Amino acid sequence: LPSLSLSFLIQLQEAFSKGLLKPGLNVPLEEPKKAVNNIEGLKMCLAEFKKNLPWVERLDLTNHPAVDVLAKIEGTLNKKQSSGEIDAEDDFQREMYFYRQAQATVLEALPKLKKLQIPTKRPDDYFAEMAKTDQHMQKVRKKLMQKQMAIEKSEKAKKLREQRKFGKKVQVEVLQKRQKAKKAMMTAVKKYQKGMTDKLDFLEGDQEGKKGSTASKSQMSKKGPNAKRKYKDQKFGFGGKKKGSKWNTKESFNDVSGFRAKTAHGKGGKKFNKGGKKNKRPGKETRRKMKARK
Amino acid sequence: NRDSTKCRAAVTRVEIDVFFNFHVLFVFQGKWKNKERVLVFSSRGINFRTRHLMQDLKTMMPHSKADTKMDRKDKLFVVNEVCEIKNCNKCIFFEAKKNMDLYMWVSNVPHGPSAKFLVQNVHTLAELKMTGNCLKGSRPLLSFDPKFDKEPHYALLKELFTQTFSTPQYHPKSQPFVDHVLTFTIADKRIWFRNYQIIEEDASLVEIGPRFVLNLIKIFQGSFGGPTLYENPHFQSPNMCRRLMRMEKAARQKERQMVKEIRLEKRKEVKEVLTEDVTDDVFVTPAEEKPKEVEHEAPRPSKSKKKKKLKLTELKKRTLLKRKGLR
Repeated sequence: LPSLSLSFLIQLQEAFSKGLLKPGLNVPLEEPKKAVNNIEGLKMCLAEFKKNLPWVERLDLTNHPAVDVLAKIEGTLNKKQSSGEIDAEDDFQREMYFYRQAQATVLEALPKLKKLQIPTKRPDDYFAEMAKTDQHMQKVRKKLMQKQMAIEKSEKAKKLREQRKFGKKVQVEVLQKRQKAKKAMMTAVKKYQKGMTDKLDFLEGDQEGKKGSTASKSQMSKKGPNAKRKYKDQKFGFGGKKKGSKWNTKESFNDVSGFRAKTAHGKGGKKFNKGGKKNKRPGKETRRKMKARK
Repeated sequence: NRDSTKCRAAVTRVEIDVFFNFHVLFVFQGKWKNKERVLVFSSRGINFRTRHLMQDLKTMMPHSKADTKMDRKDKLFVVNEVCEIKNCNKCIFFEAKKNMDLYMWVSNVPHGPSAKFLVQNVHTLAELKMTGNCLKGSRPLLSFDPKFDKEPHYALLKELFTQTFSTPQYHPKSQPFVDHVLTFTIADKRIWFRNYQIIEEDASLVEIGPRFVLNLIKIFQGSFGGPTLYENPHFQSPNMCRRLMRMEKAARQKERQMVKEIRLEKRKEVKEVLTEDVTDDVFVTPAEEKPKEVEHEAPRPSKSKKKKKLKLTELKKRTLLKRKGLR
């Protein structure tokens, strides 16, 4: 039973004596809380408080959001949104609603401002303090660039992965083809040896194959020891060109590209270790990564 | 008087080409009549986000003034006196409670109405995702949702916001350009505030910030006091929200415990004995009756076995006692 105060008990007694209360267990009902909504008061207050300023002073507008052009084109125009009910949980839709509302205001207000001769565009030679410092805007720009780079990198990585899968397929196919060709060749040779066929057609086929492979080989050899050849050409190529090459010219003196700081300070101890492996060719993964980074 | 103004206008029009005087001349074209001053300050115990929000509002509103933090011991109507001292006729007061909840008062100081809001989802100017920028002190366009005109309390709030946030024309600290727009929208029974920069004439916008959500609590007739004109029935205090969440968790735990207990009780229950099975007696075969043998002579005692037996049992007893520590 809820705790009853003395006054309440007296009230109950009186009510009972008057016949208002019925016998049995009576539980006091709590009145549902009514929120104050003094409409008259609000209206009076607004009337008192309102300042009748010309629009120039206030620059306020009340409008529905602009029509969502994209949604109309796609045909996904939401009926709810057109009536004004926004789903606050759907972040993108909500923000787009606010954006379109601002757009509608701007579209309506700009002609009005032009009439009143209030400028909206800042001329290029007008230098004034901005709300956000230049330093801050640079940070913003940096962040945007980083995001773009990250996206590009991930796209590149995806493409590479796809390529590798495709390349693996192609490799398998090529190997199989080669094996087949070899097999066919061997059978043809055996047949000729055993005297089953007189023709030497299979040899011609072999020549064609060789030509094809040499063509591809010459393409490969173009890339080959390029850096080394380049350096040697540069040093010894075309005979008399290197007459004045030993002079200390301004460019050669100012050229610090051959300077290795660690070697100069005696710290690059790990590099001249010929006691270990002489030809330390990097592993497959490392080579692949190096290739990819290009 | 008219001639002097005409002269001044002519002079300013000629000197418009001189760009470093541009701003000053533009302002001199008109007199600042709409004397609105907003006092933006807070109570003690605010966190960094609120402090930055206050700073951002001060940047956005050139007609604002700042004041030191108010002690929470003082009653709210002290704010009115502070405003009077600073000669301000509007006030935005931030109150932080429990280091978690932020309340904002917007009020027209001497006699006018005031409103209390709960502020949520605060994002400040410094956030790197807001890439727009505007002139410091430029005049804003204000954009309101049509829902503001439909109900009297929203209409009052609209008037309050318009008077507080719009920069007066020809204010000495203001810039004459209109290059950003503040939007107030009503969604999910809350007021959402956004600030966009106008980039092109075709209304392409970029968000500048800050942004926040206001949840109306009450509207009072007086400034920081007075009779309540409107109370938001949908408002649930953050304490209540947290309490409900905790109660939900507690209820779930209690349910789980109850289920556990019921399971244990069921196991401990006296199990019902099923009715006797008739087929149980199938394999019971009584043994054959043997003739009773009466022994006339006593059996020979096998000494060794007995001794051994005795010995074994004695040994066992002895070890047991030893283990128990009684020997």
